[in-house]
This record gives sequence, structure tokens and C-alpha cells, in this order.
Amino acid sequence: MIAIDKFCYTSRLRYVNASEKFALAVITLLICIAGQSFVISAAVLAVMGVLTVRKGGLPFSRYRKMLMWPLGFLILSTLAIMINVSRVPLDLFAVPLGGWYITGSAAGALRTARLIVTALAGVSCLYFLSLSTPMTDILTVLGYCRCPRLIIELMLLIYRFIFVLLDIASAMTTAQNARLGNKDFRTACHSFGQMASALLLRALKKSNALYDAMEARCYDGTIRVLKEDYPPKAREIAAIAVFEFILLILLAGRLTGWVM
Amino acid sequence: MKKTEKRTVALAAVFALTFGIAPAANAMHIMEGYLPVQYCVIWGILCVPFLAAGFFSIRRTINEHRKTMILLAMSGAFIFVISSLKIPSATGSCSHMTGTGLGALLFGPSAVSILGIIVLVFQAVLLAHGGLTTLGANTFSMAIAGPFVSYGVFRLLKKCRVNRRVSIFLAAALGDLFTYCVTSFQLAICYPSEAGGVGASLIKFLGVFAPTQIPLAVIEGLITVAVMIGLESYASPELKELRFIGEEK
Repeated sequence: MIAIDKFCYTSRLRYVNASEKFALAVITLLICIAGQSFVISAAVLAVMGVLTVRKGGLPFSRYRKMLMWPLGFLILSTLAIMINVSRVPLDLFAVPLGGWYITGSAAGALRTARLIVTALAGVSCLYFLSLSTPMTDILTVLGYCRCPRLIIELMLLIYRFIFVLLDIASAMTTAQNARLGNKDFRTACHSFGQMASALLLRALKKSNALYDAMEARCYDGTIRVLKEDYPPKAREIAAIAVFEFILLILLAGRLTGWVM
Repeated sequence: MKKTEKRTVALAAVFALTFGIAPAANAMHIMEGYLPVQYCVIWGILCVPFLAAGFFSIRRTINEHRKTMILLAMSGAFIFVISSLKIPSATGSCSHMTGTGLGALLFGPSAVSILGIIVLVFQAVLLAHGGLTTLGANTFSMAIAGPFVSYGVFRLLKKCRVNRRVSIFLAAALGDLFTYCVTSFQLAICYPSEAGGVGASLIKFLGVFAPTQIPLAVIEGLITVAVMIGLESYASPELKELRFIGEEK
């Protein structure tokens, strides 16, 4: 089971109009990375966090853990950006090492700190969208955005098949574990390979059977499903507009230099 | 302690340090919000020709054989599932495959570009690997550059009559390594070093991600060999069916 998907179906924001949520997440995300500023990022992080936790009903401890997921990437690349190896020491710190220095500058540290908060705020926007809007609703919005029908159809099918295959894969992994298939590194590699090839085989068999079934029911290249419609509410649109307006003012402030 | 014992302990310490620091060795998705706007746009635009080529080739095949639609969808789901499962690792850290090499070998590079971008969207939304603004950059490194290298290496080695297992291993591992180099380059041109510019920055990024990415490439190569051998012994007719998706007409 995919954790994010499970939470999103139980979110209290699930039945809010999907286009509203999509627009809020994407516009905020763009302003946030265009600004790269402490103030904008803090505002975005706070608003998105409150929306996901208070309005959406996700436990805060889960949310905090989820924000930690991309930490590995964040730590490593931040190290790479901040720390320099050079013959001349920079102003913030410098550790001499033979003829060289492991060194960093104050401007670099400030830039890196900005990058970290921006990235976290970006992740909070992404989480707001994915923890409140089921994939099928996102696909409907993509349809309004003139994404080719073929791609949307393909995504819909892939989304469905992911769960079918995950089920099969977890059953096979359990069977392998029960037979000591993961007892050491060598067997684990071998087992994973066997599991993956058996999985592909099963997937192909299933796809053949599925195609026959769909053909028998007059499949002509599109799957037609009933759309559930939740009309946008004026109050929500107004709130989103006010929030984005404030962010835009802050962005203008950042570009002219009076906001950090 | 004897000399060999000392050496073993030292080696183990180095090993523990390099791998202990890295908490989770995911495939190297650039996280949400990590690239400046202009670079998000540039990498997105660079992907467009490849995606368009992939889209037209897929559309043509689907118009001729409607069954390919289901087959393609299953293949996309397969790549997603494979990349979301934990793979065995020698050190006990949690890591995932990229699946790019396997995808390229099974479905051909042009179909993989479209499947790849869809899988990356799902990974961003469902697993929080990667992101929406960094989708262009990630697509370029994982769904275009990596698979093309894998496929090229595989064809080249096949022509040179290299052992099949070796060529599958090299194709998958080199594709993975190339993805890692491209991602490091993408990060380096956004964040050039204050001392030494883009070049120094590239070396730093390559160095920082090397302890997680190089073992990952080796493991991915080994697993891809296991998968391909398994498929070739049990499923050669199905493999032919798949080749057919990747065919460019």
C-alpha cells in the first residue's frame, strides 16, 4: 500500500474542487521557487502545513516524518554546495589541510540556507496536492489543461495497474522470505531478479486477459467513467486569490530587495 | 593486532563511515523546489523533442494495434513498481532501483521517454521522490539520457559479440552512472562553486553522491542481469511481443 495514496483518500479536503487545489499548489510552488526567500518560504510552509494537518486531518507526527523523507538528498547536496576545497580561504570558515583549505563563505552559507527553506516549502506544496487530491482527480485537471488524451488514458491505466502489480509483488516477496530467499546478499539479489522477471511475466499475462475482457465490452481506445463534480466555492477561490496576491507582493518585495 | 586484522578494521571503518552517513540511497531524484525557475524551464524544453518523438511513435503503434495500449500501461506500472521496491543492499541501507536500464532494454529508448515521464510524475506525487518543478530535469537525466546510454551500450556490445550477461550488466550499470553524472551536472550548473566555478562544483556533487550511487549502479546491473536471464529462459515469446513496442517505424 502506498502511504500517501491512503492518506489522500481519507483527507477531509478530498471533496474540495480539484482544480482549486491544483491551482493553489502549482501557483504557490512557482512563486516559492521564483522568490527563493526566507519570508515567502516560511509563509508557504506555514499555510500549506496548516491546510494539510488542520484542514486535511493528517496527524502532525506523520506530516513531520514525511517532510524528513527527502532529507538524504538535501543533506548531501547542501554539503556539496556549501563546502569548497580551495587554495585561498573564504570568509566564514577555513580548515587548513596541507596546502589547501576546506572552506566556505558567508554569502554561500546564506544562499544554502535559503535553498533549504525553499526546497522544504516546495515539498510542502507538493504534499498539499498529493495528500488531498486523489490521482484520478489530478488526471481530470490535466485533461482540462489540454494534456493529450492518449497520455491521460495511459496514466489512468498505469495508476490502476500499479496496485495490481504491487499486490502480486508483495505476495511473491512474502513467499521468498518464508523460504529464506533473502538470507544473505547473494540470494537476495537472485531472489529480487527472479521476483522481477516473474512479475513482468504475470503483468503481461494479465494485460492479455484484460485486453480480451475490454475488447468484449466494446473498448475503442477510451475508458469512459462518470466524473464526480464538486463545484468550486466562492469563499475558497477568494481565499486562494488573497493568499497568492500576498505572495506576489512579497515576491515583488524580494525582487526589489526589501524582503529577505 | 596483526597487520591484516588492522587493515580489515580500517577498511570496515571506512565502509561504515561512508555508508553510515547516507541515510537513504534513493535513485538520485532532484527534490522539489531545489532548482531555480529558469533551469526548470530549460530542462523541460530540452525534453520536449524526445517526448514528442516518443509520443508520435507510441500513437502510431497504438493506432495500428490497440492492444499495445494495455501492454504499455502494464510496462509503465512495472517500471514504477520495480523502482518503488526496496532492493537488496550489502550495507543494510534502504535503496531503490531506477529501472531505466531495464526499461530501455525491454521497451526501447523512445517508448521509455514517455513511460519515464509518467512514472516520474507518479513517483513525485505518490512517493515524494522528485517533484513537479524538477520534473523536466529529472526526466532528462532518468528517462532520456540514462536509457539512451543503456540502449546504445547494449547494441554496441552486441555487435562486438561480447558475452550477453556482461553486456546487460554494463548497459544497466553505465546507464545508471550516466544518469548520476547528468544529475550532478544539472546541479552543478545551477550552483557553481565560489572557488572554481561549475567544474569544481561538478566534482563536489559527483564526490558527494558517489558512495551511494556507485554501489547502486553495480547492484542495479546485477539485478538487471538476473531479470533478463529469468525472462529469456521463461518468457521468450512475451519478450518478442515487447520488442514490438520499442520498434521505430
